[in-house]
Amino acid sequence: MNTKAGPAFPLEPVLDVEEIQGIVVPGFFKPHQILLGVRYDRAHIDKLLSFIRDLAPDIANAAETLRDRRGHREGTAEAKAAPSEWPPLVAIAFSFRGLFDLTPGADAIPSPAFKNGLARRSALLGDPTDPKNPGHPSKWHVGGPTTELDILIIVAGDTRRSVKLRAAEIERALAGIKAKVISQAGDIREDMPGHEHFGFDDGVSQPGIRGRASKGPSDFITDRHVDASEFPAAAMMGYPGQDLVWPGEFVIGYPQTGPDPLIPGPVLAPVPDWTRNGSFLVYRRLRQDVGLFWRTMREQAERLSGLPGFAGLDDVGLAARLVGRWRSGAPLSRSPAKDNPDLGRAKLANNHFRFDSDTPSLELTDGTDEFGAAKADPIGVVCPLAAHIRKVNTRDAPSDTGGRSSTYERRLLRVGVPFGPSLKDSYAKASARDPERGLLFLGIQTSIEEQFEFLQARWMNDDSRPKAPSGHDMIVGQNAPTSDGVRRCVLFGSGLQQAMVEAPGQFVTPTGGGYFFVPSKNALSAVIGAEARRSRINSRPKNAASRS
Amino acid sequence: MALLTSYDPPARMSDFDAIPGQRDAWHRFVLESFTANIGAVADQLRPTKGKPQFYSAVLYDPGGPVVEQAVVWNAFPKELLRRYGRDRALVIADSLWPLSAYEYDWRYDPNVPADTGVGRPDVTFPDTYFYRPLVEYCEWHVDRDAASGRIRRVSFTSEPPEYWFALFGGKQDQSQVDFPGDRDLVLDLYRKLVSPNVEMADLLVTKPFTSPFGLLKKNAYNPYNKWNTTHGIAHLSAPPNALTAEINLGALATVLYEDAAGNPTVDPDAFISGTGMGGANRNSDPTIAATVNVLARQGAMITLANPVGLYMDHIDLTGWEVPGGQAAEDWARVVRGQDRLIERLVVQSPTEEFDVSDLRIGGVPVAFGGQIAECITVKLVGAAAGLGSVSNGRLKLTTAGYVDPANAREVYVAGRRGRPSGTVKAFAYESGEIESRRPRRAAAARAGRPAR
Repeated sequence: MNTKAGPAFPLEPVLDVEEIQGIVVPGFFKPHQILLGVRYDRAHIDKLLSFIRDLAPDIANAAETLRDRRGHREGTAEAKAAPSEWPPLVAIAFSFRGLFDLTPGADAIPSPAFKNGLARRSALLGDPTDPKNPGHPSKWHVGGPTTELDILIIVAGDTRRSVKLRAAEIERALAGIKAKVISQAGDIREDMPGHEHFGFDDGVSQPGIRGRASKGPSDFITDRHVDASEFPAAAMMGYPGQDLVWPGEFVIGYPQTGPDPLIPGPVLAPVPDWTRNGSFLVYRRLRQDVGLFWRTMREQAERLSGLPGFAGLDDVGLAARLVGRWRSGAPLSRSPAKDNPDLGRAKLANNHFRFDSDTPSLELTDGTDEFGAAKADPIGVVCPLAAHIRKVNTRDAPSDTGGRSSTYERRLLRVGVPFGPSLKDSYAKASARDPERGLLFLGIQTSIEEQFEFLQARWMNDDSRPKAPSGHDMIVGQNAPTSDGVRRCVLFGSGLQQAMVEAPGQFVTPTGGGYFFVPSKNALSAVIGAEARRSRINSRPKNAASRS
Repeated sequence: MALLTSYDPPARMSDFDAIPGQRDAWHRFVLESFTANIGAVADQLRPTKGKPQFYSAVLYDPGGPVVEQAVVWNAFPKELLRRYGRDRALVIADSLWPLSAYEYDWRYDPNVPADTGVGRPDVTFPDTYFYRPLVEYCEWHVDRDAASGRIRRVSFTSEPPEYWFALFGGKQDQSQVDFPGDRDLVLDLYRKLVSPNVEMADLLVTKPFTSPFGLLKKNAYNPYNKWNTTHGIAHLSAPPNALTAEINLGALATVLYEDAAGNPTVDPDAFISGTGMGGANRNSDPTIAATVNVLARQGAMITLANPVGLYMDHIDLTGWEVPGGQAAEDWARVVRGQDRLIERLVVQSPTEEFDVSDLRIGGVPVAFGGQIAECITVKLVGAAAGLGSVSNGRLKLTTAGYVDPANAREVYVAGRRGRPSGTVKAFAYESGEIESRRPRRAAAARAGRPAR
């Protein structure tokens, strides 16, 4: 780890790791999760408060989660214990609906998105607005207009068994207070760990958190791998290419992004004050139609390969161009012609690339990067401007919202996991009997509007933002906002010919979720679950308690 | 590819067609701006003996394929977002500022409107005329019901002021082109687009004043007339929102720069701050300059595509909730320009029974024009050819950006309007100052690696 911080390196803030929940910092990143969606009975508020108080000590904070992660990574004595002996980590979050009846001060939270909720904001995200469409909120499995969740409890662990046992304990307690619980399990794919169901390595571009866990000068939340002699790269990155983002983008009460990435921006003030050390969590249950995706890739690749400049393009190559990475995670920018699984696995190399200028080699603290360097690709000849990784992270390139700082302002932490079994035949047509598969998207941020919603609505669903000539995000973008229900994007051929890719079908369908606030440990105990509230809440008029 | 024969009016609008010689005058006006800017670039490159990478398609054929690239940005001014935060910015964006405030720059505070900057040695614009602090090449006017305050209509424009000066006729500031013009047509358009109550006298300068368009003499066209400011909107009028400014930025951004240590300046924010060629806190200028400059670094020849203009590319209606079973598409009407080259857009209910205040976006009622502006994408269209055909040397950065280290919200470009005390140099990582103090380059050289 880099310990040679010099005067040019910013002093990174110390995060309150005892207060921040571990799902936020550093993130659970466990292979097995169960999400317990809770709708509580307003007639049993007192029992709910008791449940919250009982659960509160078990909510993992950042310090515990960081110890867990470092223990796993560094092979401490604890880590050498059998995986089943590691207790699962637990997090809790509240929707506005769920929070308001416990803490009316929730009304002061300045977030229209949080207050309206995911189902109400669904159309803004480009989700289907036709009530007959399976992606319409009225058809959702969880969190629809009449089934909005109050609380989301996340249990995450190293083994499926331990997670199931812990989730079952919590479910029993919830049953005792007459709460309705919708349980959703998510697990990494056994056949392709770390890959989502279309087959691509996921989460490679996760941003780093700029901050320390203690006053120790090098006790960084995000490990550093670039040698301190490499200024400014060492001050800007965790792994090579992993942006270090000021913590106020993820946790309330800390500096956010400013114009200069090495100078802290304004501190995001907590409103109300008890939201300090809290975050917002977006949960989206996204169903993936794997067969449709790969059949479309095959059809489109066949068509394109007959056009000048696109000879030899196959479905795997086309899909890689639409993602911006090969299935192994190897970036096109560093491996334009074919997949390179060694590069995909190489954490010191697989995220180290720029778009607008040649990528320099770096001296690293714990290894080397021997792979071919990325060349400048400003108009997307190699990695199209519509590629998913360029749609959500413009890296060194400018965007429709200005210079590089605008990228940092949009980043979020992804802590979700796939669900459902893998599809054996990637081209198979779905039938009603098939089990569902997809992604339990969990995103952490301090502004749902400026981060998750911005990325989905303003960049992924738009055909020209953040940069043109691009098109829609062909992987995650939604068809509903397009004028004719077809997503399109531009590819360049070998002679700069331009051709369109078309996706009339919807590969990813929203099937539920919610917007939640992840309170600090103190807010959970002293504000949300405070016993003193019981008498006040019980004295409220019945219509207030049954607000929905 | 053959040479372009002439520059068309923005969005190929037809107003000029009824005026003999007007289209040709417009072509000459645009070409004059290109020529002047190519000359300015050549002057800058003289020390390096470089070749201007900015060209006019009327004068030069770079050969080979030409790739057009739209440079897009959001219409809501980032300057206001950075300085005031979104809630306050929405209020301010619907207001007008005294013209002097533009030169007063960061020293102007709309919360202290009496201090307009007039009388300061570096402020020459008056405070008796007003402009919108909407500096993303898109401006809007909100029409409210006088009694209820509800929004009846929001009108957006990206029409450059030069187009309207041309329609009025005569020579424009720093131009030799004499437009035939047709004042009656200007009046007709104002009456059609803004209000039937517009009179010719309303549009004329009554007392000479210094403006971003030079000295405006008595009876000249006044872009700050009440029907283009307080009472309505016909075209862009904020000082930086000009077509010639777009051409100038596109041209100057082709020049390559390096820091004190000899490393190329590549960061978009550092580039716009270090060269001082545009608004560092905007959505538009940093992305325009950086998009052009990256192509220049690739050795391309660069121009602006015909018709050269500033446009609204589209309005995103996703999440719009309109009442009465109406279609959101019927609420946003392109009044001037064409698809993807929109010059004027009006958002209004198609029926009298509703107004814009009935519109919700993502469940939030529209209370400000800026909420709609957030849905609008603005653009210009550049074109690049001959990648790798030019290899120019780099100039040293001439100025710097500064930020407040205790509250780094915005960049102050010292070379433009000075900076507040207590601010510190930003983008030091691109200035080379820190880098030059380190032994890294020597170490890199020993390791046989490039310095960056």
